Amino acid sequence: MPIPRIVSLRAPLALVFIIAAAPLMAQDAANPTAPSAQGDVSVTIYNNNLALVQDVRQLPIAKGTSRIEFPDVSAQIRPETLSFSAADTAIIEQNFDYDLLSPDKLMEKAVGQVVTIVRTNPATGAETREQAKVLAVNGGVVLQIGSRIEVLRDDGLPVRVIFDKVPANLRARPTLSVRVDSDRAGTRPASIRYLTPGLGWSADYVALFDSKAGRIDVQGWVTLTNNSGTTYNNANTLLVAGNVGQSGRREYPAYSAVRMPIPSAPGGKMVSAGTETAERERLGDFYLYPIAQRTTIATAQTKQVSFLDVQGVPAQATWEHVNGWLASSDQPQSANSVVKFSTSRSGGLGDALPAGTVRFYMKDAGGAPQFIGENSIGHTPMGSELALATGQAFDVKVKSTVETRQKLGTSKWRTTMRYELTNAKPDAITVDLVQSGLDFYWSDTKVVAESMKSERRNADSVVWSVPVSANGSTTVTATFETRY
Amino acid sequence: MRAFGALLILCISAPAVAQSVVVSDAPSSTSVTVYRDSDRAQGTFNLRWLAGYALISEKRRITLPVGESVVRFEGVADGMIAVSAVVSGLPGGIEEKNRDARLLSPASLLDGSLGNRVHIRRTNRQTGKVSETDAIVRSGPDNAVVLETPEGIEALRCSGLPETLVYDAVPDGLSAKPTFSVHTNMAQAASAEVTLTYLATGFDWGASYVAKVAEDGKTLDLFAWLTVANGNNATYEQTQLLAVAGKPNRTSDFRELAGSMQSPHLNLQCWPMDSTSTHPESPMEERMVAYDMAMAPAPPPMAMMRAAKEGNIVVTAQAKQEDLGDLKLYRVPMRVDVVPNAHKQVALMQKENVPFTLFYAADISLWNDDEGSQPLTRMIRMQNREKAGLGLPLPSGGIVVMQRQRGEEMLLADGDMADKTIGDKVEVGAGISDQLRYTLTERGDAARDHESYRLDLTNATDSPAAVEIKLGIDDEQKPRKSSAKLVRQDGRWMWKTTVPANGSASLSFSVKDR
Repeated sequence: MPIPRIVSLRAPLALVFIIAAAPLMAQDAANPTAPSAQGDVSVTIYNNNLALVQDVRQLPIAKGTSRIEFPDVSAQIRPETLSFSAADTAIIEQNFDYDLLSPDKLMEKAVGQVVTIVRTNPATGAETREQAKVLAVNGGVVLQIGSRIEVLRDDGLPVRVIFDKVPANLRARPTLSVRVDSDRAGTRPASIRYLTPGLGWSADYVALFDSKAGRIDVQGWVTLTNNSGTTYNNANTLLVAGNVGQSGRREYPAYSAVRMPIPSAPGGKMVSAGTETAERERLGDFYLYPIAQRTTIATAQTKQVSFLDVQGVPAQATWEHVNGWLASSDQPQSANSVVKFSTSRSGGLGDALPAGTVRFYMKDAGGAPQFIGENSIGHTPMGSELALATGQAFDVKVKSTVETRQKLGTSKWRTTMRYELTNAKPDAITVDLVQSGLDFYWSDTKVVAESMKSERRNADSVVWSVPVSANGSTTVTATFETRY
Repeated sequence: MRAFGALLILCISAPAVAQSVVVSDAPSSTSVTVYRDSDRAQGTFNLRWLAGYALISEKRRITLPVGESVVRFEGVADGMIAVSAVVSGLPGGIEEKNRDARLLSPASLLDGSLGNRVHIRRTNRQTGKVSETDAIVRSGPDNAVVLETPEGIEALRCSGLPETLVYDAVPDGLSAKPTFSVHTNMAQAASAEVTLTYLATGFDWGASYVAKVAEDGKTLDLFAWLTVANGNNATYEQTQLLAVAGKPNRTSDFRELAGSMQSPHLNLQCWPMDSTSTHPESPMEERMVAYDMAMAPAPPPMAMMRAAKEGNIVVTAQAKQEDLGDLKLYRVPMRVDVVPNAHKQVALMQKENVPFTLFYAADISLWNDDEGSQPLTRMIRMQNREKAGLGLPLPSGGIVVMQRQRGEEMLLADGDMADKTIGDKVEVGAGISDQLRYTLTERGDAARDHESYRLDLTNATDSPAAVEIKLGIDDEQKPRKSSAKLVRQDGRWMWKTTVPANGSASLSFSVKDR
């Protein structure tokens, strides 16, 4: 990260370089150790690996037609999205040149021209110089030296090739330029605006959970990543919580800064969506998270800035087990530990939460916070109820078994399930036992008998709230009628 | 003109120079809590692929000047997941946290020198004479290097001569390792003890059980090691070591978040010479550090075996278990050193004279009715209850079963164990028996809508053997006309019997066609 103090130390050095280098510079090459050519930069970053960069530079523009290059734009710029504006100027054309200089290109462009070759005698080390004409570069370089035709380095002996100049239009880096027509000469603010992938953001939450007190302290951090290959200096940064549509843009990876959950892990669940509006700035339906101070977003940097710090929000430790199909499990399965809390203004976090990862911590016997699991959330409106699985409980298990399965008719079956819930914890708990997979082709699955009252959540699942005593067990049986 | 512009911008940025950099080079005390790779099967882990992680907490003392400062934390784990980092105890609070990963490498050195003056050094192979010329780098490292020298334009290392670039300085913002820093703003200068807590990849742990079967064959002594491995390059001296059992949820890709240490590849290419000449090998080409190279093969975990062979395992200290929400936390009672690429074992638990039952088992599919005689699996069953001699959480890991024979400990089995809580049934495979075997035969006398089977068990040992067979009968099928009682247990039809010494037993049953 360029810390200004270091920049100031380097300043005389940079200056020396520039003066010394000046006579050698045939054309304007980007010089990264020179101060950035960026002006007043504003960066608006969306969740789906997309950012809008606005850069107002003070540029001396000549009267009439002139060409202006823009170094220090994103290395991943979408050049077709560039828009340029400056007072009293009209745009003639916008160009993005990416014919890059390489030894290959250098040699190809030298066809028909004369180069200098320097041979080194393998025995004496003596150098001999000759002028050679490059005849062709097709899978090897064919040279004409005087009246001889030779293949370059065909004998494997050292030969230096010296060219007179770098061909025009070959550049070290892709270069963005505009050709403008100005009514007057003079320095004035010129603004460029473009879209670039390579910048994205998501949220990371640190949640300290106290299960005994039933409360949670939550810190929210926005995490922005810059893989665009360019540093944005002293930028006014705004984060937009939302994915803007990018239809058909297949050439840019659909990678989203909102990290996809690993499929095997139970995802976070928004039990009910909130209807409250957070006191934050909005753009359309997106919430905006401005970063208070101007900040430098360095290349290959991950930056985190705090946006939320709430203490003592009520939260509840609960357990849930889902049996996916009317089937037996070989071994008792651990129930999921689920933390439930609200994002409501009253009795909750009191904010809309941008999508990200919530990491839960809990204090151990010595008072040190220990990690107990993480889960992901989507963009969550204020007033929502969240149920986030933190992991699998060591001490709470469910063994599901098929007691009987009988055929009642041509396509009718009766299955009796037995669920044994065990609790090795020293406290009484309630486990939400879910039998899902009921909406298998036909949704008319019925519970015809059960040992305790269930609630039909939807066509696919029924749920029992099963109390299990401390160090105890509870058995639930149910009979289902299904078709298939 | 250019120089003037540069000067101007520097002057403008001068007021921002007030920021000072504070480097915290090492922690004063640490604690390491290791979590197992929850996607890994039971049993032992692979030292070359440690996919678990750890929560590392470091206490660091720093002195902060007044005003804005950047605190750089050095000596953190290479597998640090920077987005999980929590810094507490900074009196001025945190304005932002940064992880910078622009690493110093041959490629970034070259890229950072684009447009700058460097030196090209050539050595004459015959005379040994070294000559150095100034040059300006005119193309980036993506597709080889073009240099501008006083003689003209040349390409680096295309001549076949020994030549290399020499740089005056390292470009700004390049570091040897990814760096983690925070920005803080102090109202007054102060010294503070800050705690840096973060998750880091490259760790794993498991329990390593040693079950020693007593000579009477009725009880066993169960001992377990807490086996921790550190694949990071960071050393934690005199650290508080803890381990967490259970399965914390993981939704993000820790490995991706920690970021690979690979930097851009420097790939030098020349003009086409293809088949007609030798293409110069590029010694500057960076070697990719393969993961398994970083993970130097560690010595096999011999401690366990050696200790078992010597007879009784004597340990002075044992990890203390406590509950951490729905997880189990094991605390190593003394401070230990966790060193890079190493494997450490401390005692986890010990229980003597645990009664167990030995039985033979098989899970038989009715499709496999013509495979001849097959061996049964020896199983050890314990009840994880205090009354049954156990009654404590048993975290998952590997288990070796030993038996004393002719005055020596002999290995009976090497198996796996899943997480078992109090009250659970613990069943451990203890090898294959060739003396107890089964044969399944489909009989030809079936009725039109039935298939009938015969199952024969044989015992070549001189003692009676308990056998439990799980039959592969679907839930909707019901066995009929069975010659012995079949029980429905754990959602399966089972035949439990005892085969007499040097004898046999058989079962016949039929199943209705679907």
